Amino acid sequence: MTRRSAPFLALLAAFALVAAACGGEEEEGPGAEGICATVDTEAGDLLARICEQGVLRVSTDPAYPPQSFLNEETGEYEGFDIDVATEIANRLGVRVEWEAPAWDTIVAGNWAGRWDVSVGSMTITPERAQVLYFTTPYYYTPAAIAVHRDNTTIAGPADLTGKRIGVCGACTYDFYLQGTLEIAQDPTGTPVLIESEIADPDIRTYDTDTTAITDLALGDGTRLDAVISALPTLQEAIDTGQPIKIVGEPLYYEPLSIAVDRASQLDATSLVEVLDDLVEQMHEDGTLTAYSMEWYGVDLTTLE
Amino acid sequence: MRTEEAGAGRTARPPTGRRSGGLRERLELGTARIPFRVKLGLVWIGIFVVLGILFALARFDTPWLRQHYWFIFRGLPWTVAISVMAIALASILALLGALGRISKNSIAVGLTGFYTSFFRGTPLIVQMFLIYLALPQVGIALGGPWARTLTLDPLRAGVIALGLNYGAYMTEIFRAGIQSVGHGQSEAAESLGMTYRQKMRRIVLPQAVRVIIPPTGNEFIAMMKDSALVSFLGTVVAQMEIFRRAQLLGRRDFRPLEALLAAAVMYWVLTTVFQYFQGRLERRLSRGYVREVAGKPEVPPH
Amino acid sequence: MDAQPQLDGPVVVKVEGLHKSFGQLEVLRGIDMEVRNGEVVVIFGRSGSGKSTLLRCINFLEEPTSGSIEVDGIRPAGGHRTRAVREQIRQLRMRCAMVFQEFNLFPHMTALGNVIEGPVTVKGMPRETAIPLGEHVLEMVGLADKRDEYPIRLSGGQKQRVAIARALAMEPKVILFDEPTSALDPELIGEVLAVMRSLATELHMTMIVVTHEMGFAREVAHRVAFFHEGRILEEGPAREILAAPASPETKRFLDAVL
Repeated sequence: MTRRSAPFLALLAAFALVAAACGGEEEEGPGAEGICATVDTEAGDLLARICEQGVLRVSTDPAYPPQSFLNEETGEYEGFDIDVATEIANRLGVRVEWEAPAWDTIVAGNWAGRWDVSVGSMTITPERAQVLYFTTPYYYTPAAIAVHRDNTTIAGPADLTGKRIGVCGACTYDFYLQGTLEIAQDPTGTPVLIESEIADPDIRTYDTDTTAITDLALGDGTRLDAVISALPTLQEAIDTGQPIKIVGEPLYYEPLSIAVDRASQLDATSLVEVLDDLVEQMHEDGTLTAYSMEWYGVDLTTLE
Repeated sequence: MRTEEAGAGRTARPPTGRRSGGLRERLELGTARIPFRVKLGLVWIGIFVVLGILFALARFDTPWLRQHYWFIFRGLPWTVAISVMAIALASILALLGALGRISKNSIAVGLTGFYTSFFRGTPLIVQMFLIYLALPQVGIALGGPWARTLTLDPLRAGVIALGLNYGAYMTEIFRAGIQSVGHGQSEAAESLGMTYRQKMRRIVLPQAVRVIIPPTGNEFIAMMKDSALVSFLGTVVAQMEIFRRAQLLGRRDFRPLEALLAAAVMYWVLTTVFQYFQGRLERRLSRGYVREVAGKPEVPPH
Repeated sequence: MDAQPQLDGPVVVKVEGLHKSFGQLEVLRGIDMEVRNGEVVVIFGRSGSGKSTLLRCINFLEEPTSGSIEVDGIRPAGGHRTRAVREQIRQLRMRCAMVFQEFNLFPHMTALGNVIEGPVTVKGMPRETAIPLGEHVLEMVGLADKRDEYPIRLSGGQKQRVAIARALAMEPKVILFDEPTSALDPELIGEVLAVMRSLATELHMTMIVVTHEMGFAREVAHRVAFFHEGRILEEGPAREILAAPASPETKRFLDAVL
């Protein structure tokens, strides 16, 4: 190499080398039992790939107790969503691998094949449905208002006019406050606009609910006047000693589903069908109810 | 009012300045005997005492910290690993970048100019997300094996982004180091008949290294702290570094102050330890350049 | 010691019609010169008259604006340096060593390291052969005992002698000396000139020396050339020119220096 070509050729080579050294791992999974035993692994779609490799890659946000959090002693994730995802994998006959990307990466679709499904208490909205497939809801959470324990002025949405309200960004609570939230109670139903009962809110977004709760806990009106989040999350915060309380009735109920990327390179329709069936099974045989009782203390898996 | 008696053989009273002269003067005179180092140590102790009081007042949850600090600490090998890999990549890029900047080849100058401009001109976090999120889209568009190759896991994406970013800044360091080697060295090497590569490898770069290492050491220290940004890409449990662990625990248990403070202290200790070793390396490198006086190398104070 | 009369060995260095400009400034205005094997040529003149530039053109540290340079039969083409031309220049430099005013020793290598660097890296000589060679040339310049010292521990005169040894180790056809003693304290000049003299008398080394040391010129040089404003004003046998310069400029310069 002459002095001329050396610098930039080597630059390109270095980049190519590093990029080439990367890439996903291919591993042979254990022998398929469960549903995978009946799946044609030659079919060439996402379900086939999952069964063939014996791995279901699931995305989760591990900063979200009790849905998902890290047990530092075992180095494992735990929580309601974790249990649901693990059970699904078991019934498929494969093992689980976890990814923990940022939430807005998950809801945006275009996962580039990094993970197969999202079991992350995701609400079905029309915008998300454009980039993601949704299964039958596996449970429903009420969206609730929390204020600081010392607050005496706020008893419901009417009292929140013009107040600073903390929500997690790109979550349904965010859309609700903006007045753009549309929910269908199941993937096939018509989305209904949920009218916001809160006039003129001062919306403060966070990358995750727990941070918003922490800010609320600083003091009544110190940073926030209220937080809107999932009722179980707020309850968990209260149970661990955060100085907040829940006020008013639930603003709305969100159906929460498992999501799959529409932009997946491998066709995902068969996977979504299988997941749908599994979720229904787990509703019928009481698995979901059992998990709900374990993690939330109430049965959130039905709307009754 | 006293006046100084000129020529009377008595020492004039020193002027007291403004009214406050009294207490401050006495304090200064009284403590003048105490060595500077001791006074400095007392100041540091004082700072920590004040901080300790503040934390006690903030109801710092020490038991929680005792329970969980070890988990956060176990991220340290990953912080170091990420930094080492990234600084290695950055050094390679910086060397190529520097050679490109001083090259006579228009392609080399153009490419490296673009590289340094872009990666110094955009935020590191943006670069990380670009490599993590945008590259796979390019890969899918290109099709074939590119989709998999360009879809990097968070750790690799983070290391590459860090390497590219720091490489752009370090290009200047390397360039200055190479150019700090006297022109005469280059001429002497060329007069012997050395090729460009021989000249660089045998004569210029070994001398440039001595100039390059101290600022590179500083970059590494900065890198160890920027390694925290990798967590925003979502690293897996087995690869979580200090900040990610602190972030997850802090969020989970609603103890951000304790968790993040623990992380801060760990970074602080890490960088301090490294600075010590860098100092030793600098001294060792200047052997052969600094005249040894009575067996002791003279080193300019940092 | 009498300088020898005109030698008629083969021509080692041939400069023809050499012009060199730095931008608008023309430094060399047509230089023609031949140096034969075994000759010692001393070039003298005022600063800025182009003496160093001539040397640096001979080994292509500077690119001639026009004219040709030939050393030991190698004549690199002028103009843009293609790969072939660069290789020619490299071959030329291997036969034509240079000793610099500022020594330019490699500070990160010992004296011996400096000396064998050329043979090992450029000529590919194995270290086992190069080290005895290096020790030998260090012996010739009287610094055998300093082989393991780093340049920073050496005096100016010692450094320059190591530089000369470094040049010798390449077994060149000609050595170019660019004001080799100008950067030295007066008491150190003598040891360097002594080495240079022994190169001429014992090795019959071909040397082109740019210097103000007219004593050395009178005693060791075969020919001298007086440079004035980019041209060789006067040239001829050393003793003749120095004793009785023909042109007034030469005379004026010599009066000032001697």
